[in-house]
Amino acid sequence: MSLVTVGIADLKVSKDPEDTLVTYSLGSCIGLAVYDPVVKVGGLLHYMLPDSSINKEKATTHPAMFANKGIPLLFKQCYSMGADKKRLIIKVAGASQIMDNAGAFNIGKRNYAILRKIFWKNNVQIAGEDIGGNSNRTMYLEIGDGKINLKISKKGIIEL
Amino acid sequence: MSLMEEIIVAVDDMPPFPQVVQRAMQALADPEYEVVGLVDILKVDQAITANILKLCNSAYFGLPRKVSSLKEAVVYLGANQLRQLLLSGAASKIFEKPNAGYAVFADELWRHALATAVMAQVLRQYRRIKIDENTLFTAALLHDVGKVVLSNFVADKYRDIENMVESGKSSFQEAEREVLGFDHAEIGGKIAEKWEFPESIITAIAFHHEPGRSAREFRVLSELVALSNNLAVMVGYGTGVDGLACRGHGLLLEKLKIADREMEELVLLFQLEMAKTCEVAGVDED
Repeated sequence: MSLVTVGIADLKVSKDPEDTLVTYSLGSCIGLAVYDPVVKVGGLLHYMLPDSSINKEKATTHPAMFANKGIPLLFKQCYSMGADKKRLIIKVAGASQIMDNAGAFNIGKRNYAILRKIFWKNNVQIAGEDIGGNSNRTMYLEIGDGKINLKISKKGIIEL
Repeated sequence: MSLMEEIIVAVDDMPPFPQVVQRAMQALADPEYEVVGLVDILKVDQAITANILKLCNSAYFGLPRKVSSLKEAVVYLGANQLRQLLLSGAASKIFEKPNAGYAVFADELWRHALATAVMAQVLRQYRRIKIDENTLFTAALLHDVGKVVLSNFVADKYRDIENMVESGKSSFQEAEREVLGFDHAEIGGKIAEKWEFPESIITAIAFHHEPGRSAREFRVLSELVALSNNLAVMVGYGTGVDGLACRGHGLLLEKLKIADREMEELVLLFQLEMAKTCEVAGVDED
Protein backbone atom coordinates (compact mmCIF):
# COMPACT_ATOMS: atom_id res chain seq x y z
CA MET A 1 0.00 0.00 0.00
CA SER A 2 1.25 3.46 -0.72
CA LEU A 3 -0.03 6.58 0.97
CA VAL A 4 -0.46 9.51 -1.44
CA THR A 5 -0.80 12.87 0.29
CA VAL A 6 -3.24 15.41 -1.06
CA GLY A 7 -1.98 18.74 0.22
CA ILE A 8 -4.03 21.73 1.27
CA ALA A 9 -5.52 23.32 -1.86
CA ASP A 10 -4.60 20.25 -3.87
CA LEU A 11 -6.24 17.28 -5.63
CA LYS A 12 -5.11 13.82 -6.70
CA VAL A 13 -6.74 11.04 -8.70
CA SER A 14 -5.62 7.44 -8.99
CA LYS A 15 -6.53 4.03 -10.36
CA ASP A 16 -3.76 2.14 -8.63
CA PRO A 17 -5.52 -0.30 -6.26
CA GLU A 18 -2.52 -0.14 -3.94
CA ASP A 19 -2.93 3.61 -3.37
CA THR A 20 -4.60 5.27 -0.40
CA LEU A 21 -5.17 8.97 -0.93
CA VAL A 22 -5.02 10.98 2.29
CA THR A 23 -5.58 14.59 3.21
CA TYR A 24 -4.79 16.04 6.64
CA SER A 25 -5.94 18.98 8.71
CA LEU A 26 -9.44 19.61 7.44
CA GLY A 27 -10.73 22.51 9.52
CA SER A 28 -12.99 24.91 7.66
CA CYS A 29 -11.71 23.32 4.44
CA ILE A 30 -13.56 20.51 2.70
CA GLY A 31 -12.33 17.09 1.66
CA LEU A 32 -14.29 15.73 -1.29
CA ALA A 33 -13.81 12.10 -2.31
CA VAL A 34 -15.26 10.61 -5.50
CA TYR A 35 -15.02 6.95 -6.51
CA ASP A 36 -16.18 4.79 -9.38
CA PRO A 37 -16.46 1.18 -8.07
CA VAL A 38 -16.58 -0.38 -11.55
CA VAL A 39 -13.35 1.00 -13.01
CA LYS A 40 -11.91 1.57 -9.51
CA VAL A 41 -10.90 5.15 -10.16
CA GLY A 42 -10.97 7.62 -7.29
CA GLY A 43 -10.02 11.18 -6.51
CA LEU A 44 -9.65 13.42 -3.48
CA LEU A 45 -9.81 17.22 -3.33
CA HIS A 46 -8.92 19.48 -0.37
CA TYR A 47 -10.21 22.98 -1.04
CA MET A 48 -10.02 26.03 1.24
CA LEU A 49 -12.31 28.65 -0.22
CA PRO A 50 -15.74 28.77 -1.86
CA ASP A 51 -15.20 31.04 -4.81
CA SER A 52 -12.27 32.07 -7.00
CA SER A 53 -13.73 35.45 -7.95
CA ILE A 54 -11.57 37.01 -5.20
CA ASN A 55 -8.45 36.35 -7.26
CA LYS A 56 -8.65 35.59 -10.99
CA GLU A 57 -4.97 34.82 -11.30
CA LYS A 58 -4.90 32.23 -8.50
CA ALA A 59 -8.07 30.70 -9.95
CA THR A 60 -5.88 29.59 -12.86
CA THR A 61 -2.65 28.77 -11.01
CA HIS A 62 -4.26 27.19 -7.89
CA PRO A 63 -7.65 25.80 -9.01
CA ALA A 64 -7.80 23.23 -6.19
CA MET A 65 -7.87 26.06 -3.67
CA PHE A 66 -11.43 26.96 -4.66
CA ALA A 67 -14.66 24.95 -4.68
CA ASN A 68 -15.91 26.44 -7.95
CA LYS A 69 -12.71 25.48 -9.80
CA GLY A 70 -11.52 22.42 -7.86
CA ILE A 71 -14.77 20.43 -7.90
CA PRO A 72 -15.23 20.44 -11.71
CA LEU A 73 -11.52 19.68 -12.14
CA LEU A 74 -11.72 16.67 -9.80
CA PHE A 75 -14.65 15.21 -11.76
CA LYS A 76 -12.97 15.88 -15.11
CA GLN A 77 -9.76 14.17 -14.06
CA CYS A 78 -11.70 11.12 -12.88
CA TYR A 79 -13.64 11.01 -16.17
CA SER A 80 -10.39 11.14 -18.12
CA MET A 81 -9.32 7.97 -16.27
CA GLY A 82 -12.49 6.16 -17.22
CA ALA A 83 -14.87 7.03 -14.39
CA ASP A 84 -18.54 7.51 -15.21
CA LYS A 85 -20.66 10.21 -13.60
CA LYS A 86 -23.61 7.87 -13.01
CA ARG A 87 -21.49 5.43 -11.02
CA LEU A 88 -19.57 7.91 -8.90
CA ILE A 89 -19.92 7.58 -5.13
CA ILE A 90 -19.39 10.95 -3.49
CA LYS A 91 -18.44 11.62 0.12
CA VAL A 92 -17.69 14.86 1.90
CA ALA A 93 -15.96 15.81 5.17
CA GLY A 94 -14.85 19.02 6.89
CA ALA A 95 -16.41 22.48 7.12
CA SER A 96 -15.69 22.72 10.84
CA GLN A 97 -15.79 25.94 12.72
CA ILE A 98 -14.31 27.44 15.83
CA MET A 99 -16.62 28.40 18.72
CA ASP A 100 -18.25 31.58 17.63
CA ASN A 101 -21.88 32.38 18.34
CA ALA A 102 -21.99 35.27 15.92
CA GLY A 103 -20.85 33.01 13.07
CA ALA A 104 -18.21 35.44 11.84
CA PHE A 105 -15.61 32.70 11.24
CA ASN A 106 -17.93 30.89 8.85
CA ILE A 107 -15.78 29.96 5.86
CA GLY A 108 -16.57 26.31 6.62
CA LYS A 109 -20.29 26.91 6.19
CA ARG A 110 -19.77 28.80 2.95
CA ASN A 111 -17.45 26.08 1.66
CA TYR A 112 -20.22 23.55 2.24
CA ALA A 113 -23.03 25.73 0.87
CA ILE A 114 -21.34 26.21 -2.49
CA LEU A 115 -20.67 22.49 -2.77
CA ARG A 116 -24.38 21.75 -2.27
CA LYS A 117 -25.23 24.37 -4.85
CA ILE A 118 -22.82 22.99 -7.45
CA PHE A 119 -24.06 19.44 -6.84
CA TRP A 120 -27.69 20.48 -6.98
CA LYS A 121 -27.19 22.23 -10.33
CA ASN A 122 -25.42 19.19 -11.73
CA ASN A 123 -27.73 16.63 -10.22
CA VAL A 124 -25.07 14.96 -8.09
CA GLN A 125 -25.98 13.04 -4.93
CA ILE A 126 -23.86 12.84 -1.78
CA ALA A 127 -23.59 9.28 -0.45
CA GLY A 128 -22.09 10.17 2.90
CA GLU A 129 -20.82 13.13 4.83
CA ASP A 130 -19.36 14.27 8.13
CA ILE A 131 -19.66 18.02 8.31
CA GLY A 132 -19.33 20.86 10.80
CA GLY A 133 -18.72 20.81 14.53
CA ASN A 134 -15.43 21.68 16.21
CA SER A 135 -13.48 18.69 14.95
CA ASN A 136 -10.33 18.49 12.95
CA ARG A 137 -10.46 15.72 10.35
CA THR A 138 -8.11 13.58 8.28
CA MET A 139 -9.67 11.80 5.29
CA TYR A 140 -8.47 8.58 3.64
CA LEU A 141 -9.70 7.08 0.35
CA GLU A 142 -8.62 3.54 -0.51
CA ILE A 143 -8.52 3.17 -4.27
CA GLY A 144 -8.76 -0.66 -4.18
CA ASP A 145 -12.29 -0.71 -2.74
CA GLY A 146 -13.40 2.92 -2.33
CA LYS A 147 -13.42 2.70 1.46
CA ILE A 148 -13.27 6.06 3.20
CA ASN A 149 -11.98 6.48 6.73
CA LEU A 150 -12.02 9.65 8.76
CA LYS A 151 -9.70 10.33 11.65
CA ILE A 152 -11.46 12.87 13.83
CA SER A 153 -10.02 14.75 16.78
CA LYS A 154 -11.67 13.61 20.02
CA LYS A 155 -13.46 10.70 18.27
CA GLY A 156 -10.85 8.45 16.65
CA ILE A 157 -11.33 6.68 13.32
CA ILE A 158 -14.72 6.11 11.69
CA GLU A 159 -15.72 4.78 8.28
CA LEU A 160 -17.77 7.18 6.22
CA MET B 1 3.88 19.15 45.48
CA SER B 2 0.77 20.61 43.88
CA LEU B 3 0.32 20.31 40.14
CA MET B 4 1.05 24.01 39.73
CA GLU B 5 4.27 23.68 41.74
CA GLU B 6 5.34 20.73 39.61
CA ILE B 7 4.72 22.78 36.50
CA ILE B 8 6.71 25.72 37.83
CA VAL B 9 9.63 23.33 38.29
CA ALA B 10 9.16 22.08 34.72
CA VAL B 11 9.13 25.65 33.43
CA ASP B 12 12.40 26.29 35.28
CA ASP B 13 13.86 23.18 33.70
CA MET B 14 13.06 24.29 30.17
CA PRO B 15 16.10 24.92 28.02
CA PRO B 16 16.84 28.64 27.63
CA PHE B 17 15.81 30.42 24.45
CA PRO B 18 19.06 30.68 22.46
CA GLN B 19 20.97 33.82 23.42
CA VAL B 20 22.41 34.19 19.94
CA VAL B 21 18.92 34.37 18.46
CA GLN B 22 17.72 36.88 21.04
CA ARG B 23 20.75 39.10 20.44
CA ALA B 24 20.36 38.85 16.68
CA MET B 25 16.68 39.83 17.03
CA GLN B 26 17.67 42.93 18.96
CA ALA B 27 20.16 43.84 16.26
CA LEU B 28 17.63 43.23 13.49
CA ALA B 29 15.05 45.40 15.25
CA ASP B 30 17.10 48.41 14.15
CA PRO B 31 16.19 49.05 10.49
CA GLU B 32 19.72 50.29 9.90
CA TYR B 33 21.42 47.31 11.47
CA GLU B 34 25.10 46.79 10.78
CA VAL B 35 25.82 43.65 8.80
CA VAL B 36 29.22 43.27 10.42
CA GLY B 37 27.75 43.49 13.91
CA LEU B 38 25.11 40.92 13.04
CA VAL B 39 27.70 38.56 11.59
CA ASP B 40 29.71 38.87 14.81
CA ILE B 41 26.68 37.79 16.81
CA LEU B 42 25.79 34.88 14.53
CA LYS B 43 29.22 33.44 13.81
CA VAL B 44 29.71 32.08 17.36
CA ASP B 45 26.98 29.54 16.66
CA GLN B 46 28.13 26.99 14.11
CA ALA B 47 24.76 25.35 13.65
CA ILE B 48 23.07 28.68 12.92
CA THR B 49 25.85 29.69 10.53
CA ALA B 50 25.49 26.38 8.71
CA ASN B 51 21.72 26.80 8.47
CA ILE B 52 21.98 30.31 7.06
CA LEU B 53 24.41 29.15 4.38
CA LYS B 54 22.30 26.10 3.66
CA LEU B 55 19.18 28.20 3.14
CA CYS B 56 21.01 30.69 0.98
CA ASN B 57 22.33 27.89 -1.23
CA SER B 58 19.04 25.99 -1.36
CA ALA B 59 17.11 25.35 -4.54
CA TYR B 60 14.51 27.82 -3.26
CA PHE B 61 16.76 30.78 -4.02
CA GLY B 62 18.41 29.18 -7.04
CA LEU B 63 21.56 31.29 -6.91
CA PRO B 64 23.92 30.91 -9.86
CA ARG B 65 26.93 30.31 -7.60
CA LYS B 66 27.58 28.95 -4.16
CA VAL B 67 27.64 31.45 -1.28
CA SER B 68 30.24 30.45 1.28
CA SER B 69 30.64 33.54 3.47
CA LEU B 70 28.26 34.26 6.31
CA LYS B 71 28.47 37.98 5.61
CA GLU B 72 27.43 37.52 2.01
CA ALA B 73 24.56 35.27 3.05
CA VAL B 74 23.32 37.78 5.64
CA VAL B 75 23.30 40.54 3.04
CA TYR B 76 21.58 38.34 0.50
CA LEU B 77 18.85 37.02 2.77
CA GLY B 78 17.94 40.33 4.36
CA ALA B 79 16.25 41.06 7.67
CA ASN B 80 12.91 39.32 7.09
CA GLN B 81 14.28 35.99 5.89
CA LEU B 82 16.93 35.99 8.60
CA ARG B 83 14.43 36.71 11.32
CA GLN B 84 12.14 33.93 10.17
CA LEU B 85 15.01 31.49 9.86
CA LEU B 86 16.47 32.27 13.28
CA LEU B 87 13.20 32.30 15.19
CA SER B 88 11.80 29.25 13.43
CA GLY B 89 15.04 27.36 14.01
CA ALA B 90 14.99 28.11 17.73
CA ALA B 91 11.26 27.51 18.15
CA SER B 92 11.16 24.27 16.15
CA LYS B 93 13.53 22.63 18.65
CA ILE B 94 11.17 23.56 21.45
CA PHE B 95 7.96 22.51 19.73
CA GLU B 96 9.03 19.43 17.85
CA LYS B 97 9.49 17.17 20.84
CA PRO B 98 7.00 14.33 20.87
CA ASN B 99 3.99 15.43 22.85
CA ALA B 100 1.94 12.60 24.22
CA GLY B 101 -0.65 14.84 25.79
CA TYR B 102 -1.59 17.55 23.38
CA ALA B 103 -0.64 16.81 19.83
CA VAL B 104 -2.13 14.14 17.63
CA PHE B 105 1.05 14.12 15.58
CA ALA B 106 4.42 15.03 17.03
CA ASP B 107 4.78 18.04 14.77
CA GLU B 108 1.26 19.45 15.08
CA LEU B 109 2.12 22.08 17.66
CA TRP B 110 4.98 23.26 15.56
CA ARG B 111 2.92 23.54 12.37
CA HIS B 112 0.31 25.47 14.28
CA ALA B 113 2.96 27.81 15.72
CA LEU B 114 4.33 28.54 12.27
CA ALA B 115 0.86 28.98 10.75
CA THR B 116 -0.10 31.48 13.44
CA ALA B 117 3.10 33.47 12.90
CA VAL B 118 2.51 33.53 9.14
CA MET B 119 -1.14 34.52 9.64
CA ALA B 120 -0.05 37.38 11.91
CA GLN B 121 2.35 38.69 9.27
CA VAL B 122 -0.30 38.46 6.56
CA LEU B 123 -2.86 40.21 8.75
CA ARG B 124 -0.41 42.98 9.62
CA GLN B 125 0.35 43.62 5.97
CA TYR B 126 -3.26 43.27 4.84
CA ARG B 127 -4.48 45.97 7.20
CA ARG B 128 -1.18 47.89 7.29
CA ILE B 129 -1.06 47.74 11.06
CA LYS B 130 1.78 49.67 12.58
CA ILE B 131 3.45 47.23 14.90
CA ASP B 132 6.96 45.88 15.26
CA GLU B 133 7.33 42.87 12.96
CA ASN B 134 9.85 41.10 15.19
CA THR B 135 7.66 41.29 18.25
CA LEU B 136 4.55 40.16 16.41
CA PHE B 137 6.26 37.23 14.70
CA THR B 138 7.86 36.07 17.96
CA ALA B 139 4.69 36.35 20.05
CA ALA B 140 2.60 34.57 17.42
CA LEU B 141 5.19 31.83 16.94
CA LEU B 142 5.46 31.13 20.67
CA HIS B 143 1.86 31.72 21.79
CA ASP B 144 1.21 28.03 22.52
CA VAL B 145 4.56 27.27 24.12
CA GLY B 146 2.75 26.52 27.39
CA LYS B 147 1.32 23.40 25.76
CA VAL B 148 4.84 21.96 25.44
CA VAL B 149 5.16 21.89 29.23
CA LEU B 150 1.52 21.18 30.05
CA SER B 151 1.26 18.18 27.77
CA ASN B 152 3.59 16.23 30.07
CA PHE B 153 1.23 16.75 32.98
CA VAL B 154 -2.25 16.40 31.58
CA ALA B 155 -2.18 12.68 30.81
CA ASP B 156 -4.39 11.56 33.71
CA LYS B 157 -6.60 14.66 33.71
CA TYR B 158 -6.89 14.66 29.99
CA ARG B 159 -10.10 12.63 29.83
CA ASP B 160 -11.85 15.23 32.02
CA ILE B 161 -10.74 18.10 29.81
CA GLU B 162 -11.88 16.20 26.76
CA ASN B 163 -15.31 15.46 28.24
CA MET B 164 -15.88 19.12 29.03
CA VAL B 165 -14.91 20.12 25.50
CA GLU B 166 -17.16 17.45 24.02
CA SER B 167 -20.16 18.82 25.88
CA GLY B 168 -19.80 21.76 23.50
CA LYS B 169 -20.02 24.39 26.20
CA SER B 170 -16.33 24.88 26.97
CA SER B 171 -13.42 25.75 24.81
CA PHE B 172 -10.27 23.72 25.33
CA GLN B 173 -8.63 26.53 27.28
CA GLU B 174 -11.69 27.00 29.50
CA ALA B 175 -11.76 23.27 30.21
CA GLU B 176 -8.06 23.31 31.10
CA ARG B 177 -8.70 26.06 33.58
CA GLU B 178 -11.70 24.29 35.06
CA VAL B 179 -9.95 20.95 35.42
CA LEU B 180 -6.38 22.01 36.19
CA GLY B 181 -6.93 25.42 37.74
CA PHE B 182 -4.84 27.17 35.08
CA ASP B 183 -4.36 27.03 31.31
CA HIS B 184 -1.63 26.74 28.68
CA ALA B 185 -1.67 30.49 27.97
CA GLU B 186 -0.80 31.32 31.57
CA ILE B 187 2.00 28.74 31.61
CA GLY B 188 3.25 30.10 28.27
CA GLY B 189 3.50 33.56 29.84
CA LYS B 190 5.64 32.10 32.63
CA ILE B 191 7.96 30.44 30.11
CA ALA B 192 8.36 33.72 28.19
CA GLU B 193 9.15 35.41 31.49
CA LYS B 194 11.80 32.83 32.26
CA TRP B 195 13.28 33.47 28.83
CA GLU B 196 13.39 37.18 29.66
CA PHE B 197 11.30 38.21 26.71
CA PRO B 198 9.94 41.77 26.68
CA GLU B 199 6.74 42.49 28.60
CA SER B 200 4.80 42.88 25.35
CA ILE B 201 5.52 39.30 24.25
CA ILE B 202 4.90 37.84 27.70
CA THR B 203 1.52 39.60 27.77
CA ALA B 204 0.47 38.57 24.26
CA ILE B 205 1.29 34.91 25.00
CA ALA B 206 -0.45 34.92 28.39
CA PHE B 207 -3.62 36.52 27.00
CA HIS B 208 -3.88 35.01 23.54
CA HIS B 209 -7.31 33.63 24.42
CA GLU B 210 -8.43 36.76 26.27
CA PRO B 211 -6.76 39.74 24.62
CA GLY B 212 -9.19 42.09 26.34
CA ARG B 213 -7.47 41.31 29.64
CA SER B 214 -4.03 42.43 28.48
CA ALA B 215 -2.59 45.78 29.52
CA ARG B 216 -3.75 48.57 27.23
CA GLU B 217 -0.28 49.32 25.86
CA PHE B 218 0.05 45.72 24.57
CA ARG B 219 -3.56 45.37 23.50
CA VAL B 220 -3.01 45.61 19.73
CA LEU B 221 -0.30 42.95 19.83
CA SER B 222 -2.42 40.65 22.00
CA GLU B 223 -5.41 41.10 19.72
CA LEU B 224 -3.41 40.34 16.61
CA VAL B 225 -2.01 37.17 18.13
CA ALA B 226 -5.49 36.12 19.33
CA LEU B 227 -7.05 36.69 15.92
CA SER B 228 -4.20 35.01 14.04
CA ASN B 229 -4.59 32.00 16.33
CA ASN B 230 -8.34 31.93 15.59
CA LEU B 231 -7.78 32.03 11.85
CA ALA B 232 -4.98 29.44 11.84
CA VAL B 233 -7.15 27.08 13.91
CA MET B 234 -10.15 27.75 11.69
CA VAL B 235 -8.27 26.78 8.54
CA GLY B 236 -7.15 23.60 10.31
CA TYR B 237 -3.44 24.24 10.52
CA GLY B 238 -1.82 22.07 13.09
CA THR B 239 -4.47 21.72 15.72
CA GLY B 240 -4.03 18.79 18.03
CA VAL B 241 -6.51 17.05 20.27
CA ASP B 242 -8.30 20.32 20.91
CA GLY B 243 -9.52 20.40 17.31
CA LEU B 244 -11.35 23.65 16.64
CA ALA B 245 -12.63 24.04 20.21
CA CYS B 246 -11.30 27.56 20.46
CA ARG B 247 -13.40 30.64 21.09
CA GLY B 248 -13.56 33.08 18.18
CA HIS B 249 -12.98 36.79 18.67
CA GLY B 250 -15.56 38.09 16.24
CA LEU B 251 -15.28 41.62 17.59
CA LEU B 252 -11.67 41.79 16.47
CA LEU B 253 -12.80 40.96 12.93
CA GLU B 254 -15.24 43.85 13.06
CA LYS B 255 -12.58 46.15 14.45
CA LEU B 256 -10.30 45.37 11.51
CA LYS B 257 -13.23 45.49 9.07
CA ILE B 258 -12.81 41.89 8.02
CA ALA B 259 -16.07 40.54 6.61
CA ASP B 260 -16.60 37.40 4.50
CA ARG B 261 -14.76 38.54 1.41
CA GLU B 262 -11.81 40.00 3.32
CA MET B 263 -11.50 36.77 5.31
CA GLU B 264 -11.36 34.79 2.09
CA GLU B 265 -8.65 37.08 0.77
CA LEU B 266 -6.70 36.65 4.00
CA VAL B 267 -6.94 32.87 3.85
CA LEU B 268 -5.73 32.95 0.27
CA LEU B 269 -2.75 35.21 1.06
CA PHE B 270 -2.00 33.12 4.12
CA GLN B 271 -1.92 29.87 2.17
CA LEU B 272 0.45 31.24 -0.47
CA GLU B 273 2.76 32.65 2.22
CA MET B 274 2.58 29.49 4.32
CA ALA B 275 3.68 27.35 1.38
CA LYS B 276 6.72 29.59 0.94
CA THR B 277 7.57 29.62 4.64
CA CYS B 278 7.34 25.85 4.89
CA GLU B 279 9.72 25.52 2.00
CA VAL B 280 12.22 27.90 3.60
CA ALA B 281 11.84 26.36 7.07
CA GLY B 282 11.98 22.82 5.64
CA VAL B 283 8.60 21.93 7.15
CA ASP B 284 6.12 19.54 5.61
CA GLU B 285 3.20 21.77 4.70
CA ASP B 286 0.62 18.98 4.96
